[in-house]
Amino acid sequence: MTYIMLLLLMGMIMGLVFVASNPSPYFGALGLVAVASVGCGILVNYGGSFLSLVLFLIYLGGMLVVFAYSAALAADPFPEGLGNWFVKLLVVVYMMGITSFSFLFSGKWHEFSWVPVDEISEFSVFRGDVGGVALMYSFGGIFLIIGAWVLLLALFVVLELTRGFNSGAFRAI
Amino acid sequence: MTPVHFAFSSAFMLSLSGLAFYRTHLLSAFLCLEGMMLSLFIAISLWALQLDTTGFLTSPVLLLAFSACEASAGLALLVATARTHGTDRLQNLNLFQC
Amino acid sequence: MSPYTLTIMIFGIGLGTTITLMSSHWLLAWMGLEINTLAMLPLMSQHNHPRAVQATTKYFLTQATAAAMLLFASTTNAWITGEWAIQQMTSLIPLTMITMPLTLKIGLAPMHSWLPEVLQGLDLNTGLIMSTWQKLAPFALLLQIQANNPTLLITLGLLSTLVGGWGGMNQTQLRKILAYSSIAHLGWMMLILPFSPSLTLITFITYIIMTCSTFMIFEINKATNINMLATSWAKAPTLTSLTPLVLLSLGGLPPLTGFMPKWLILQELTKQELTTTATFVAMTALLSLYFYLRLSYAMTLTMAPNNLPGTIPWRLQFKSFSMPLATTTMASITLLPIMPAMSTLLKL
Repeated sequence: MTYIMLLLLMGMIMGLVFVASNPSPYFGALGLVAVASVGCGILVNYGGSFLSLVLFLIYLGGMLVVFAYSAALAADPFPEGLGNWFVKLLVVVYMMGITSFSFLFSGKWHEFSWVPVDEISEFSVFRGDVGGVALMYSFGGIFLIIGAWVLLLALFVVLELTRGFNSGAFRAI
Repeated sequence: MTPVHFAFSSAFMLSLSGLAFYRTHLLSAFLCLEGMMLSLFIAISLWALQLDTTGFLTSPVLLLAFSACEASAGLALLVATARTHGTDRLQNLNLFQC
Repeated sequence: MSPYTLTIMIFGIGLGTTITLMSSHWLLAWMGLEINTLAMLPLMSQHNHPRAVQATTKYFLTQATAAAMLLFASTTNAWITGEWAIQQMTSLIPLTMITMPLTLKIGLAPMHSWLPEVLQGLDLNTGLIMSTWQKLAPFALLLQIQANNPTLLITLGLLSTLVGGWGGMNQTQLRKILAYSSIAHLGWMMLILPFSPSLTLITFITYIIMTCSTFMIFEINKATNINMLATSWAKAPTLTSLTPLVLLSLGGLPPLTGFMPKWLILQELTKQELTTTATFVAMTALLSLYFYLRLSYAMTLTMAPNNLPGTIPWRLQFKSFSMPLATTTMASITLLPIMPAMSTLLKL
């Protein structure tokens, strides 16, 4: 499990290095999809399978569809992927930065447990994260109301921001 | 600093520097913002899972809801910018120089 | 914007700030800040103008980044100390890290450069909300974390007063001048924050009163740059004669309200044996005073060349004098005599 965890954590960092190093939006969205799925793997290794499911659904099912749609809006005639020298340079710079920081902070990493001790998970029907998320509907009532309110508010904000433009591209009909 | 702590901290810092040094597309800046929220989601849920505080596990879901709202507002702004400025390139956001 | 939507957005702004003010948990404070930012966006871009949309985009980028950094710093604090409460930021690294997004949110000096551009893209009413109400929530968080790092805060404060004074010098746009004035005032507040937080609060309250008054005066004159101020005597002569007092009160001249916080801050800094800092910050206040004085000069002390129809408007009935304008103008001119009460309150 430790090796899988190591691979997943490195994959998350690599993916974000790619997202951060200035590629075209297509490739950036692709990198973010990769990072989100790797994050799902990290959460599963930590025993949070329900949270991982939620993350997977939100990022891959919802958000990235929207981003893929919007990437058409921000289309480049010559998309810049890893073949571009500038992106390559930034990737190299970020990798060097991360490596030096890891040397700075990597004291006694072999002493830590990389995955939590989760002994009874094979015998338990009731996972901790399922129960924890379900608490939102009983004890966290005010939080639930705030969350619902902010979703409604975001709906109004989006409608109001994109409304009533009668000039430029993407006119309202 | 545990390895997991280092991993999500560096993930966050990478997205932050990507956002700060971005010069081309507005959409990619929003992607970096999403990367920040993703690393925060992983950080908070791993904190709660590691300490076994199940009651705190509602907060990653709320964080995800709020970051979805933020992303939708960002995309709406992208559409609005594309309507008023014609493109989403960041060098067109230059109306206030003086 | 439809009045229903406007109601929802105003309610959202109020709700966000209120949630942040009443929260003791970092996650809830972050939620309040996010609601606040989200509800502010449609108000900023309500005119669908390219400048407004651009200002909205810049505001959204900075505020979302600052909110994410805030949550990251508090998550780091939770990983180090296992504590999410706002008043329990005991670890030094997250405490320093969290000062940065908060100063980015209110627009202090190293992270200030979004504020003049955003404010320049708004109309004056929204600019009033932006430079007063939107600063409340991050400011309350700054007061609560008990940032006990005087070197950092003094550096930020000095830099802000310097940049605020210097940046406003060559501006002719009123909203940019007001943005730089906001940066300078926030610098004064940061300067005194590690020594006397209640004094910071008093400075903030007087800043809000004076800024409200200034924005409403400019709104009545429909003035967005210095030249447009020159004809204001034709619209409202009494207000024109009061405006230099308000502006000099922002600059901090003695018989006016704005002198009170500066006086108390300089006194407190001297008590803490920071006389060099006090001298320096008093010098940088001169830079700000220069452009306030230039505004007053263009507005009142010179007679602008006008054609005959341009002198007419004072004869017309002028309806939009409002109670808030009168109250804040009077308060920003004449509140200095309550300074003994203020300094007594500070000792409680």
